[in-house]
Amino acid sequence: MSECPDIVQLEGVTRAFAGTKAVDGLSLKLKAGEVMGFLGTNGAGKTTTIKMMLGLLAPTSGTVKVLGGDPSDPHVRAHIGYMPEVATYYPYLNARELLAFYGGICGLDAKTVRLRADSLLESVGLADAAKRPLKTYSKGMLQRAGIAQALLSDPDLLVLDEPFTGLDPLARIHFRELLRGLKERGKTIFFSSHELGETELLCDRVAIMKKGHCVYQGPVKDIAGDGATNLERLFLKTLEEAK
Amino acid sequence: MKLFARQVCALVKLSFIELWRRNDIFALVLLGLALMVPLSMATPFGAEGASRYLDEMALLLVWGFSLFIALGTGQRLFPPEFESRTIYPLLAKPISRGRLLVGKYIGAVAASWSALAFFYVLFVASVLLRGGTFAAELPQAIVLHFAFVALAVSVSLLGSLLVSASANLTLSALVLVGMFFFGRRLPEYAEGLNPALAWVVKTVYAIAPHSEFFDMRQRLVHGWGAVDGVVFLVALAYAVVYVAILLLLASCVLGRKRL
Repeated sequence: MSECPDIVQLEGVTRAFAGTKAVDGLSLKLKAGEVMGFLGTNGAGKTTTIKMMLGLLAPTSGTVKVLGGDPSDPHVRAHIGYMPEVATYYPYLNARELLAFYGGICGLDAKTVRLRADSLLESVGLADAAKRPLKTYSKGMLQRAGIAQALLSDPDLLVLDEPFTGLDPLARIHFRELLRGLKERGKTIFFSSHELGETELLCDRVAIMKKGHCVYQGPVKDIAGDGATNLERLFLKTLEEAK
Repeated sequence: MKLFARQVCALVKLSFIELWRRNDIFALVLLGLALMVPLSMATPFGAEGASRYLDEMALLLVWGFSLFIALGTGQRLFPPEFESRTIYPLLAKPISRGRLLVGKYIGAVAASWSALAFFYVLFVASVLLRGGTFAAELPQAIVLHFAFVALAVSVSLLGSLLVSASANLTLSALVLVGMFFFGRRLPEYAEGLNPALAWVVKTVYAIAPHSEFFDMRQRLVHGWGAVDGVVFLVALAYAVVYVAILLLLASCVLGRKRL
């Protein structure tokens, strides 16, 4: 793993809003093919960090490099797939039209979009509902549509913000398997989550944020040796120690 | 260039789907049919003046509908993206804010033009069914009306990034309708005011979008013929420059908007 290039490189990143630091001096590296879970309580700075990784927000100080470039460059973003925490998407479109739209934005030709959309809708379990307007979708179905749009351009880096939110147990298992398949294909995955069990099952490494600071970074396999028996204990212990 | 073309195509398609699947547009189309069809059947005692009055009414309806659609479409380009948070996955794709703005604007104008074309088909049909005719002024009137719609979309788009939806629609409609009816009288009106007020009125005249430049209703109704080609081209150039300035301002506002 150490020979793999850094896909994400954050060096001393700080982002302040009206004098309040949402992220403070964060340094983080993510290697190719790694799956990293990004944990923290609400308001810890997870979404702000993700927005900086996507070039949607500029850091106040520090550097953010993704795939060796500046994520505010659209050419860099062409290799990133992103699924937001909550998005209602376009209620008047159906799932197939949604993917056709995002495919066009990614610059894919119609034939490629059609082929990928068929395969993705099948893999996220939306094939039967592909022609229904998104306004009739449940929250879980919208999450799955969100995953499909994130995977549409076959990205090298997948950034997922709370991907398990709204998924029923079956969809959760299905989604976990989907992410495992992507990992086996060498994709790098970075996701924020409150679902510690899922994070433990999926991730190579975790980072824990508290009030804008990264208070823990380490491999999941080391967790047992850390005196905690699972990620939940480590999470609570880390947050307690960081007080 | 290929990427930009595909992005614009996707945004144009999105605007079309959005416009034509909206209930209010569907209602507007039905309303248009309900008003235009009786107009086409009316035979006002064979009097030419009364027939012209019907044409004028029909044209005013077309202008009103087109303004409603243009302002609504421009207003809906960005605020719903922020409200539903679809702006995040959209800007996480390989598209810059500037390109997104231009693509969305082109989409909104194309969709609004499609609705305007529909209303003009109804209008022309209503006139022809009453035995009326059109001369060279018709193509000019239609092209200038299309230019006005492009201008109205850009006014509404910029406003949507600065103020709330209701404030934007009210202000944009007020400015465009105000200039449409009273714009040409403003310099004359300024003459009779004290210097300070006259300066204000003249400034408004200089910077407000001149909707009245695109209004050829009277020529169309009374058959006064086409305007001089140079005048026509200057009006089009005015629309292009005004739209470019508004898009540039909108791009600055969008670029500074915090996500």
